[in-house]
Amino acid sequence: MPRLSLGGRLALLFAACTAAVSLSAGLLFSHASERHFVELDQQLLSARLSQLRAHLADVDSRAALDDHLPALRGELSHQSDLALRIRGNDGTLWFDSRAGLPQEPRQPGLATLHSDGMDYRSLCQALPNAQITLFLDITHHQHFLQRMQQLIWLTVGLCALATALLGAWAARRGLRPLRQMGAVAASVNARSLTTRLPVAQLPEELAELGQTVNAMLQRLDDAFQRLSAFSADIAHELRTPLSNLLTHTQVTLTRPRSLEEYREALHGNLEELQHMAQMVNDMLFLAKADHGLLMPSRQALDLATETDALLEYYAPLAEDAGITLLRRGEAQTAGDRHMLRRALSNLLDNALRFTPPGGTIEVTLSPGLHIEIANTGPAIAAQALPRLFDRFYREDPMRHEGSSEHAGLGLAITRSIVLAHGGGIQARCEGGWTRFVIDLPQTG
Amino acid sequence: MKLLIVEDQAKTGQYLRQGLSEAGFATELAGDGETGQFLALTGDHDLLILDVMLPGRDGWQILQAVRQAGLDTPVLFLTARDAVEDRVHGLELGADDYLVKPFAFSELLARVRSLLRRGASPSQDTTLALADLRLDLIRRRAERAGSRIDLTAKEFALLELLLRRQGEVLPKSLIASQVWDMNFDSDTNVIEVAIRRLRLKIDDNHANKLIHTVRGMGYVLEERHD
Repeated sequence: MPRLSLGGRLALLFAACTAAVSLSAGLLFSHASERHFVELDQQLLSARLSQLRAHLADVDSRAALDDHLPALRGELSHQSDLALRIRGNDGTLWFDSRAGLPQEPRQPGLATLHSDGMDYRSLCQALPNAQITLFLDITHHQHFLQRMQQLIWLTVGLCALATALLGAWAARRGLRPLRQMGAVAASVNARSLTTRLPVAQLPEELAELGQTVNAMLQRLDDAFQRLSAFSADIAHELRTPLSNLLTHTQVTLTRPRSLEEYREALHGNLEELQHMAQMVNDMLFLAKADHGLLMPSRQALDLATETDALLEYYAPLAEDAGITLLRRGEAQTAGDRHMLRRALSNLLDNALRFTPPGGTIEVTLSPGLHIEIANTGPAIAAQALPRLFDRFYREDPMRHEGSSEHAGLGLAITRSIVLAHGGGIQARCEGGWTRFVIDLPQTG
Repeated sequence: MKLLIVEDQAKTGQYLRQGLSEAGFATELAGDGETGQFLALTGDHDLLILDVMLPGRDGWQILQAVRQAGLDTPVLFLTARDAVEDRVHGLELGADDYLVKPFAFSELLARVRSLLRRGASPSQDTTLALADLRLDLIRRRAERAGSRIDLTAKEFALLELLLRRQGEVLPKSLIASQVWDMNFDSDTNVIEVAIRRLRLKIDDNHANKLIHTVRGMGYVLEERHD
């Protein structure tokens, strides 16, 4: 079914409503007038019938009727649209005042009959020896009623058409703000994400939609800004090692050197390159996450086992740094083992770097799928907490360039993995503990 | 051992060929899909290293042709794309391993050796040894020059890996994956610390050092006479 425009839809609905209203009004009127005619006819017929009965009071046979016929005819001649039929109780026809009268109904009472293009109303009454039926020619009335019905249909049609046209016009006017919204939406592109719909000028019904659209634009704008910043960060992050590589290689080649020096130079370059490769791989992982291409498998996992494996992995490092590693609680989930290990590993790695010697790192699991990784250490400024998950974000800007140790993508990767599992993560800092709290959805 | 490399990037192909030749493999290099497929079907190779994106015929088509010809030569794919469906597609067609660029040469070398060893029946050794270092796999005991060394479970697993693949340079990522089941690049120096601790127990009191660091590449267990 082709889609109908809102204007067209409204116009049709208006037309249908008008048609329904005028049709019922017309039908009601037509019915009422018909009822009115029937009542008039009945009054007339019963009045005339009782006069005629007076003449027939003592008639008991066909032969006896003849004496009364002149009086009857006289009576009937006053009104040309009346006709009379008298039948004996045995069913034989005694008298018809006019030819071509229709067959009257058996039952006494009022009836409407049709014969040879003529319409009659008949009233039938039983006498002691006969049955008399008085016919009234109502062809005129019926014609009038038919014409009126035609008029009703015509009115209904015209009204519907007129409302459809007027409705279309009104809908078009009424929907103008919607078209304006469309025009604004059409003008939005990557460079004009700051455009917003004028919500204050929109009608009440559209204001909510306008706000939703504005909120969407805001989110797009934020995402776009982040992406732009990300691209700029990538360029920046790659620029430093690239420039190191260029300088180092060119300087090495400016004059002949000992074998050992060449080897040193290559090793230096190798480290730089490995770091760059790592960063590119991490960024590709994040790009995949952004495109919703991370598809974690869902296998049953005992988080306690996974955590213990990770703690065992990091144990030598923690021991060297004099840090205590602890795991409390148990939890089961369904998720991607490699990805979740990577997510937790990044958090532990992060915690190990920020926990001072003698400190503690605690992983707390609760069955409500709540994972908390807490470490003792210096407090992080409250406004910096949500930014910890931003790409290339480093708490201490001084540790930034040149130190190829950490690109600042670990926590961003952790978050993208948690999000891909339908969970959420946040950082808190209180009472000398830094906590990363992961909430995973309960799975069946 | 004869390897075929099909790689259209001239430099990449050349470097891979040089690296693998110097690692002791006979290597052939094809620069496009058609030549690659011809060589794969006619030559007698122990392993194929295929780039996915190739002019002429892509790596998948070559793999299909090879499998249709009834050859079960192991195939290692190199690709610059890391889409899940690519990986699945490759594995469905019968690829044996998959390496995403950029990768470290040491990683490639380790994978190539794993694939080539796959055909051989797994060793039934109950003890592994190098010089005066012995590892009893049944009793989970390690000895150096006749005296027993106490190892943690992970240290034992690490030493077993090094011994099984003695003489091979093992990249940190491979060690993390084989010993700790950490299949991602964790750029911590956990492996360094673990190796240092193992060294302390294995090598410290001995003049003949067995665990060696190959800078920028990884670690190797071997006897060096220098």
